[in-house]
Amino acid sequence: MTGVDSATNGSAAAGRVAQLNPAAIAVYAFVAILAAGIVFGAFMTPGFLTINNFSAILTSAAFVGIIAVGSTLIMLSGSLFSISLGTTTAVTAILFMFMLHSGVAAAAAVTLLAGTAIFAIQGALVGLIGANPIIVTIGAGAIQEGVIGWLSPGDITPPPGAGIDFLARTIFGLPFSVYVFLGLALVLDLCMRHTRFGLELYLLGENQPAAHAAGLPVALLTTAAFAVAGFCVAVAGVLIAGFAQNVNLQVAGTYTFDAIAAILVGGSAVTGGWGSVGRTVIGALIIATITDMLLLVGASTGMQIFVKGLIVTVVVVLLHLARRERRSP
Amino acid sequence: MSARDDTSARRTPASRRVRTSMPYVLLAIMFAALFIFPLFAGRRASAFNVYDALQLWSAYGLVALGVGLTMIVGEFDFGVLGVFALCPMIAVKLGEINLFLGLGAALGLAAVVGFLEGAIVAKLRVHSMPVTLGFYIALLGANLAIGNSQSVSFSNLNVGFALDARLAIFSGRSIIALIVFALVFVVMRFTRVGRDIRAVGGDRRASRMVGVAVDRVLIGVFITSAVCSALGGVLLAYSFATALSNPGLYPLQFAVTAAILGGVSLVGGVGGAVGIAAGALSLSLLQELFSLLAAPTYLSSLITGVLLVIATFVAAPNLSAWWRSLRSPRPGAVAVASAVPEPASK
Repeated sequence: MTGVDSATNGSAAAGRVAQLNPAAIAVYAFVAILAAGIVFGAFMTPGFLTINNFSAILTSAAFVGIIAVGSTLIMLSGSLFSISLGTTTAVTAILFMFMLHSGVAAAAAVTLLAGTAIFAIQGALVGLIGANPIIVTIGAGAIQEGVIGWLSPGDITPPPGAGIDFLARTIFGLPFSVYVFLGLALVLDLCMRHTRFGLELYLLGENQPAAHAAGLPVALLTTAAFAVAGFCVAVAGVLIAGFAQNVNLQVAGTYTFDAIAAILVGGSAVTGGWGSVGRTVIGALIIATITDMLLLVGASTGMQIFVKGLIVTVVVVLLHLARRERRSP
Repeated sequence: MSARDDTSARRTPASRRVRTSMPYVLLAIMFAALFIFPLFAGRRASAFNVYDALQLWSAYGLVALGVGLTMIVGEFDFGVLGVFALCPMIAVKLGEINLFLGLGAALGLAAVVGFLEGAIVAKLRVHSMPVTLGFYIALLGANLAIGNSQSVSFSNLNVGFALDARLAIFSGRSIIALIVFALVFVVMRFTRVGRDIRAVGGDRRASRMVGVAVDRVLIGVFITSAVCSALGGVLLAYSFATALSNPGLYPLQFAVTAAILGGVSLVGGVGGAVGIAAGALSLSLLQELFSLLAAPTYLSSLITGVLLVIATFVAAPNLSAWWRSLRSPRPGAVAVASAVPEPASK
């Protein structure tokens, strides 16, 4: 099975070939239980089946989702994930707020450029010299925290009359960020399926030596995957800045692991080459739905995070088993 | 992250010597820096500062030992962050009833977590990063749920006093950590287990072929990793008489940096307890230097990050190939030819 095949027809092929083995049955069983749980919970949880609540779910999925769809490209290209997603989100939010005095458009442009560049540099390190992405991104995160601590102590608030209200505006009942999330996801998903760049990324993630041998520009592709992720992180940073009244490094919060969890729950392979941006959207929505449900029944924050971790672990193990069976029947 | 190429075989002896001596050179530099730099600021480092650095070392150094061991065996353990958060909470909560009950429950829980992680990674051959990441998130959630999203204080202050009592440059805490490091060193150096650990990290498939009990080694390493990190966290919590609701990412940042500076490679098969101890101590001395100079905290993140990126360069598998490709007339071809293909076993 080639990279392109598995990329474009991955889920369909998996379904057909793997139908008979126990691991695949376990995956379907888990998906069925999860779906049943959500449907059951939907009817049992007071206040779940309301328009307002669906809007709340989409809203809470949006920020994490924007970060996650971009980072999906890193994972699909075989470079695992970035551990500094949250930090760069905070850094870009701070930068945007700081640059607002020179106009919204200029601030947004500079921020998006900065986010893209910060990640592209890390991607270049990973792609050119084969540096480990986990270590590079941990290091880059520490450097960014240091630089921000040095340049901007404390909170940053927008200047009066900054004109960033539109970032937090609601259009047809949904916040602006939801449209950005779905739009970015659509563009990236189409890009991964139908452009040469996307297919090459899939091949790189599926089999790096083969990608090398085929003469693909491995370093450039890795850099580009990181750059796209950085762009998305910066988009999230701008939107978060528009939402919040003041920003600081604490904005980073749990975005890093929430975004990675969304990708993993979506079912993309952590080693790359298999999965899709669309899956990440589903993963982000699943996590947001379950978190929302737990919130409505009054579960603590800790409980919500605990369940999230459990789901990530179970999904990763089950999907791995299903894929392994498919590879060696 | 299963079978991997052996980069050490391709490296020239000179660069290998540099790499193996790097942790100790760095440690010497940090020691010198701690005693020289403050002089310019009109301050003077004393034995107390070394004691203080060792206090830090005893908490985060043990995490570094855990993460480092999993890196040597060719895996990675995000779960250490989880046990570092949850186990101190258990130790403090149950420690109110009985100190040894708390300690035993905390370390027992860590062993169970390590066993589960190791079993999943070894038996089901799942990539360790996403699995341990899931464990980390779940354990952190459990910690927040138990502690009600708040730090919990420990009423038995005497334990902390006893652990922190100063003996020259050591304390009870740093002596316990030292003993753990020594135990791991002895096992790694003088028993078959140590050889097996490095073999599994170097070439897992070959290790299986020649009869190394790969699964048992992996499970053992994950248990050790979790127990070491938990011990570091519990000692810190008893010492501060507080279990934190969320210790954040700092322990992992410290641990990975210390392990890498200590000569551990993420490729697997390289490194040992002494190197990790040296790497962790270098970082601890650096922190102590900063606090002695009353330097702002951002400086220490900045330097940690820069050190990590530099270490990445040193540890990068394709660095020499890339360098050669820059100087060769046909860049692409050389880079391709010299990059040893990693078997696509996922």
